[in-house]
Amino acid sequence: MNNRNRRWPGGVGSLEMPKPSPETGVSQDMEAAVALERDAQLMLRVREGDDTSFGLLLEQHRGPVVHFLYRMVQNQAVSEELAQEVFLRVYRSRETYEPTAKFTTWLFRIATHVALNSIRDRKKEKGHESLDEEMDGMERQVADRQQTVEQEMVHEVKLREVRQAIEALPAKQRAAVLMHKYEGLDYAQIAGVLSCSESAIKSLLFRAYESLRGRLAHMA
Amino acid sequence: MICLSKHEQGAELLASYLARTLDAPRMAELDRHIRECAECRGLASVWERLDEFAVPEVSPGFDARLYARIAREGARVWGWRRWLWPPVAPLAAAAAAVAVVLFLHVPHGSDSVQQASAADIEQVAQAVDDLDLLTPIDR
Repeated sequence: MNNRNRRWPGGVGSLEMPKPSPETGVSQDMEAAVALERDAQLMLRVREGDDTSFGLLLEQHRGPVVHFLYRMVQNQAVSEELAQEVFLRVYRSRETYEPTAKFTTWLFRIATHVALNSIRDRKKEKGHESLDEEMDGMERQVADRQQTVEQEMVHEVKLREVRQAIEALPAKQRAAVLMHKYEGLDYAQIAGVLSCSESAIKSLLFRAYESLRGRLAHMA
Repeated sequence: MICLSKHEQGAELLASYLARTLDAPRMAELDRHIRECAECRGLASVWERLDEFAVPEVSPGFDARLYARIAREGARVWGWRRWLWPPVAPLAAAAAAVAVVLFLHVPHGSDSVQQASAADIEQVAQAVDDLDLLTPIDR
């Protein structure tokens, strides 16, 4: 599965309408700009008391936020609980919301903050918990798609190694890789989420991928 | 020659390369380079390995749980915020002012006056409660 091509509709950072292409009448940039505006507009409507718009935002972002948090904390129940907290914070913030950043940057900033706090708290509470204890029904869901026991076992081993490699990354590197690899955020957005410069993010990602390469080299 | 492991935007380039969204000359250049460079092959391989990390579906009750939490929180917030709701706020302030004035100017020894002031306060409070009932629930 590769979510790299998915592009988030975001905030209002780029509202200039590009010229439509002669072939289609609507350029990709224009579609993106329209999409970009949508989330911020929805959030502004939520600010005005339109709860239906909140439902549309939830529908759009529920999956990516839960999946990001799942890969951060590697536990389905915890990730959904944290995602609830994220959307609750979004709802609470509606009255003071200003579209000064892309909506997705703002949303992932909240999600990352919640995830990092959770990771910190869990480390404090019980120290490092083995992945074996954290394994939930996800592998079985994935396994349903496998055709043979052997394929299932190979898949589970690979999945476990990937999970362990990601879990071994420092939390900030982990967040950056997950946003970059799976959620399709660009350097600028990740920089906005993690309050870093873009060059710092490039360096952070480079170190993270280097580290992953070392850990997963035997799988190649 | 582009080397993903040395290029400052290597990760971004790699993502575009694997999605086959780079222009043809650059794709061809990277194809050649990745065949020759073990480091870049390793990086490309990592990217593909990460695809193994599938995620479960979100639980069906997710939205219902969230809306229930929002409703609970809304009820709590409404509990104290109703006194700040514009139509209610002046009456609440008036009730408080009446209470203060009565307390300061009425001799405290008189039971009948005390009862009268208590009735006044109760009446104002009742008026506030009545207005509260007229408040739209979805506000």
